[in-house]
Formats: sequence, C-alpha cells, structure tokens
Amino acid sequence: MAMSATAQQVDFNAMSDEAFRAEAREFFEKDYPEHLRFMPRRLTWDESKDWWIKLSKKGWLAPNWPVEHGGMGLDPGKLIIYWEETERAGIGRMPDQGVTMVGPTLIRFGNDAQRAQYLPKILSGDNVWCQGYSEPNAGSDLASLRTEAVLDGDEYVINGSKIWTSMAHHATNIYVLVRTDKTVKQQRGISFLLVDMKTPGITLRPIRNIAGGEEFCQVFFDNVRTHKDNLVGKINEGWTIAKGLLTFERLNIGSPRRPLQAFEQLDPLARAQGLFNDQGFVDRYTQLKMDLNDLGSLYQRYVEKARRGEALGPDISMLKVFAMDTYQKLAELLLEAGAEYGAYADEITLGDSKIDLMTPFYTSRPGTIYGGSNEIQRNILSKYVLQLPS
Amino acid sequence: MSQQDSTEHQEMLSNSVTDFARGVDVARVRKLSETKTECDRTKWTEMADLGWLGVLAPEQYGGMGLKLADMAIVAQGLARALVPEPLTAVAVLASRVLADSNNESLKRKLLAGLVSGDTLPAVAWQEEAGTLDVGKIKMQATPFEGGFRVTGSKRFVIGATNADGYIVSANSAQGMQLLWVPRDAAGATVEFDTLADGRQSGTLKLSDVNVPKENIINTGDAAAKSLARAIDHTAVIASAELCGIMGRSLEMTLEYLKTRVQFGKPIGSFQALQHRAVDLYIQQELSSAVLADCLGVLDGEPDDKTRTAAASRAKARCTDAALLITRQAIQMHGAIGFTEDCDVGLYVKRAMTLAAWLGNANAHRRRYAKTEILEGAV
Repeated sequence: MAMSATAQQVDFNAMSDEAFRAEAREFFEKDYPEHLRFMPRRLTWDESKDWWIKLSKKGWLAPNWPVEHGGMGLDPGKLIIYWEETERAGIGRMPDQGVTMVGPTLIRFGNDAQRAQYLPKILSGDNVWCQGYSEPNAGSDLASLRTEAVLDGDEYVINGSKIWTSMAHHATNIYVLVRTDKTVKQQRGISFLLVDMKTPGITLRPIRNIAGGEEFCQVFFDNVRTHKDNLVGKINEGWTIAKGLLTFERLNIGSPRRPLQAFEQLDPLARAQGLFNDQGFVDRYTQLKMDLNDLGSLYQRYVEKARRGEALGPDISMLKVFAMDTYQKLAELLLEAGAEYGAYADEITLGDSKIDLMTPFYTSRPGTIYGGSNEIQRNILSKYVLQLPS
Repeated sequence: MSQQDSTEHQEMLSNSVTDFARGVDVARVRKLSETKTECDRTKWTEMADLGWLGVLAPEQYGGMGLKLADMAIVAQGLARALVPEPLTAVAVLASRVLADSNNESLKRKLLAGLVSGDTLPAVAWQEEAGTLDVGKIKMQATPFEGGFRVTGSKRFVIGATNADGYIVSANSAQGMQLLWVPRDAAGATVEFDTLADGRQSGTLKLSDVNVPKENIINTGDAAAKSLARAIDHTAVIASAELCGIMGRSLEMTLEYLKTRVQFGKPIGSFQALQHRAVDLYIQQELSSAVLADCLGVLDGEPDDKTRTAAASRAKARCTDAALLITRQAIQMHGAIGFTEDCDVGLYVKRAMTLAAWLGNANAHRRRYAKTEILEGAV
C-alpha cells in the first residue's frame, strides 16, 4: 500500500532521539492546522479528517503499529518522544480508537484476513471506529455486561445496548464486548466482535453531557447480525483481549501536559485579578504548581521504565489517580480565581486575553470516571500492588 | 563516575546499612528523652568505620567523594531503623560547610576528624524559627587580635549533645564569617530542649568568645553561599530520611491491615481502609520520585535558584507525605497505635522532628513561591 511506503523506508528507531524529535517537531509545527491547536476538547471526525490523511500519507498515523502493518514501529522510547511532541504542538485528540485500540488488537489477537480487511481502512480514514464496552448496568463492573451474541448459521446475532460510546454517531464501525456464554464465570463468557455501524438493527441515541456536548451515544442492538469471521481471537476470550490492551499506552493518561495547559490559563487570570497579593490564593496556587511538578517526576519515572523496555505493572494506576485529581483541583481553582466570572458559561475577556474558565472544569470531570474510575484504580492498587485481602 | 560504579557503590552502601539496621535496639530509641543518649560514640565510630560519615567528603580528607544520591541511601536506610545518631547534621551539613573552606590546616583537622568520627562538629547557623535565610542572623563577630570576638545566640542546633564544637555563622564588617568554636571555649554555653523523638535541640550562647584566625572557616559571600548550599543539600538528605520513615511506617500499617481481624475478616479487606492505604502509597511513591529527581538536580550543581527550588520540592513533598503516613499509621492501628509499646509512635515522632528541621513543608512552599512564582508576577 502506497501510504505505508514512507514508513517502511525509514527506520525511526535507528535515528538518534534528538534527530527524531527534531523531525517530529518540525512536522507537527508546520503541518498541523493552527486553529485546532490546544483544543480543550476532543476533535470531531470532520475536524480531524485532513490531519488524519496527512499523517497517513506521511506514514505517521500509527506510531505504535509495526512497520509491516503500515505503522511507524516505534520502540517505547521513540513512541514517548512522538507523544511528547504531539502534546507540545497542542495536537488534538482525534476519534483514534482504530489506531489506538482496534489496530493493536487485530495485530496481536486477530487473523490475517481481519488484518487485511480492516487495517488499511483505518489508515486511509475510510473506517472510523468506536468502542462498545460499557452498558447501562455494566460500568465499573464491566464483566457483568449482558449484551449477548448468539451464533445462528454463519452469523452472530447481537441484542442489547452499549453506552458512553464516544463519537458513535461519526463512526463507521464498532468493536463490542458481548456475552457468548452465560453458564460460566462472568469473565469467561465474553467475546470480542467487530460490527459495521450500517448493519440493520443498530440505532443510536446521542447523550448530551453537562457541558452541552454530544460526544457520547447509547448504541442499541436489535437482532444485529455480524459474520462469524468478525470474532477476534477465540470465542469467550474477549475479556483477556480487552485486558491485554491495557499496556503502557495508559502512561499517556498520566502525562502532566493537559493539567499544565489549564495551569497556563490560571496565570494571566490571577494577574488580572491581583491574586498574587492574596496569600491564601498564593498558597493554593503554589501547592498545585508543586503537585504538578511532582506529577511530572512520577510520570518521568514511568517513562524511563518504558524506555528501558520494562513492562509497566498495575502500579501505573497511581499515575492516573494523581494526574486526574490534580487536574480537577486546578480546574476548580481556575473557577474560584475567576470570582464572579467563575460562573460565566462562555469565554471571558480580561484585558488583552481571552480566558475560558468553564471548559477545563468540564474536561477534567470525566477524567476520574472513564477508563476505570479513580475508585476502581484504587481497588486495582489495593489488590494487585498492596495485596490487601478481599 | 560511570553509571556502573555508581550502582556498585550504592549497592555496597545499601547492604552495609541493612546489616547495621538489624542490630538497632529500638528500646534505646524509645528511652531517648530520658537517657539523652542520641549519639552513642561507640556507634558513631562504627558508622565512621563503615565509611558513612565520609560519603560526601573529598578523598584527600579520608572521604569517599560520592554524590548526594549515595548519601541518601545511607540516610534513608538508617532512618527506617530509627537510628538516632545525627548523621545528616554532621555528614552533610557540617561536612559540606567544611569542604568549602580554604583554611587547609583547619580542614585537615576538622573534616578529616569528622570523617574518622573523632571530631563531631555541629552547625549552629539559625537564630529565628521559620526562616531558611542564612542572612537573618544577629550574632556579631568583631575583629580581635587577628581573629574575632563573637557574641550572640543560636537555636535549633542538631547534633549538639555530643558535639566537640560548633560551626557558627556571624555578621562582621567583611560580611558573614563561618567560625569554629570548640565546645569548651570560654564564654560558650549550650542548653538543650527535648524534641518530639527524644533527641535534643541545642541553644548555643556565645558571650565574647575569642575565635583565633586559625579557626576562620569561610568569609563573606563565599561563606553565605556555602552555608545556603549546605542547608539545601541537608534538607534533601533529611527528605531521604523522611522517605525511610514513611516507608517502614507504611509497611507496618499494611502488615497490620492484613493480619488484624475484626468482624470476622482482616480489616484490610474493608474498602474504606484499602483506599486510604492506596492514597498513602501514592504519596510515598510521589515522594520517592520527587526525591530521586531532586537528588539528580542537586548532584548536577545547578545555579542557586534551581537548587533551592529542587530542595524545597523534596522537603515539602516528603514532609507532608511522612506526616500523613505516620499519623494515618496510628489511626489504622487503632488504640494499640497510640500506645508507647507500639513502634508506630516512634515513627510519628521522628517524622515530626525531621519535618520541623530546616524548614517545614509550609516554609519550603513559601520559599518556592517566592522564587518560582512571585518574582515578577505581582
């Protein structure tokens, strides 16, 4: 395929870190659309499309995939540099489930036919994937999910519903965890299926969040049929597959970059409001700035570990807990620093600068809920790291 | 030094500390406030023989010339075992100040003596509570027979009980003077206040004490800079001690959560306690990550601003975490945790003593704010 040719010609891992960083920086600075930098929310597919294609043509869309599948094949050290540079350039989060989740899953657990069918379409942008994991009655307790798939001839027939599916209304495909055996222990009766969103029987209900956006959907499955070739891995092994994906990509969520962005808004606001003369404010501001620096130290420790090629254990959950708690505290201080403006729904103008006080608040709230709530992360740490009894 | 050598040194130090810690008598630590034997000179000589007093000192004075990262291993390990001897105050604070001196003959005597354990110098710089500013002193040194005559008083002197003399800072017409005052110098008196962990805080009073010029350690800007740097280095090693304290304290708490049974279950199976234990663990890991970072920064000998910011980051985080973890250790042990028999209390008390020394968390956050946030912000 033409678009992976570029990637195959360059062995990025053979480059020096500095050279790779310089190349990434130049590319991201020059080619990423200015108006989409440092967006306080995820990008929609329409906003993302051009950049997606541009990345793809350069062979830079899938830094984490092996070269033979059209990725950049970056080792952990280079992958972290790639992330750092995307953060530095303020590149928005695209509807990237195909690249971050589906690709790695098919590469590791799928078969050749599935890889041939789906991977090129992810790279080309023809397929946009969304995730069907959570259900109305299976959130933190994901293993209790009840959407079921029953084999009928050559097809699985799916019934049930998935919820909190980000960007489902822009997606062409969905990967779902479904129950395929009700007689065994919950985790053992789950399978991983791929479904075309145009299949008859799928309906969507967009869900408005408190920020007024419609990123989420509930997805209903009413006798939705998908060919049995769309089963990834073996039947009833879906739980293992879903868990297997929690690799060191979870590192990304603990990066101090996003809270730092919120922090940068706090500075001009505090100046304009004369808050640096208020010792009470200065104390809280200082505490948070130091928390952020300390988060940086903790994050860096995991980065170094990943660079050395070591596996990241369940203790990495602490990074998410502390990062998201700190992010929320920052967003809250931003509102408080705004005084009366702290209740303004839209951007405010202070002197020469425009400051959006509300968006960091809304962006930071779900951080302690998605991807395993902070309480679930604490359960994980308690059980697998501290080894406290159950 | 290569990475390889550095790792080897650290492993060696770590092993020797572990061996030593096995022999620590906690009963002695428990009785310190009565016996006032925080510095057992036999133990002290043993520590010197193991090389610990000279980890930082240059090789020509008998030291090992290693880094703060190496010193931190010793300090952390000994703190875990509640060793009460004033290792950090002497082997970091005094050692650094002496190493900066150009007074070669005094250095041969004092620094080499410090390393061998024969001479125990205590640094007496602070006069006011709640400051990290080495310039905030009133002790006065007036020229006298080529040396100085010194009057004033110093507080919060750690390691003073068994000190053979004091390194004092004083104002003079030529700026700051760092001077060596033997314990038995005429006009020098020392009094003690007992600290939370039973160790002693010294108050040194000097009244027209003659300091001959042979006992001038450092002068002027160089003296002030040397002292400020030594204090930051010491604050970071005290942070390593705090990490040792919190580490052992959390271990004891986790052991207790796994074994104490109430309502027919180990109490560690209750989610309220599990999540609290996790939060303590996160603070411990944050502390150790910050400590490692800051040790690296200080070992790189950065400019003053970078150094003070790093030292304050370490001391603020490690102090807050150690106080939280040791206090929660009492709570999670229940009533037994509040008894004298339970070691948990010893860790709380040591944490409090280390927390208050060389700037508590609040003092360090304020200092950090001053240089990292407020300069140019208002």
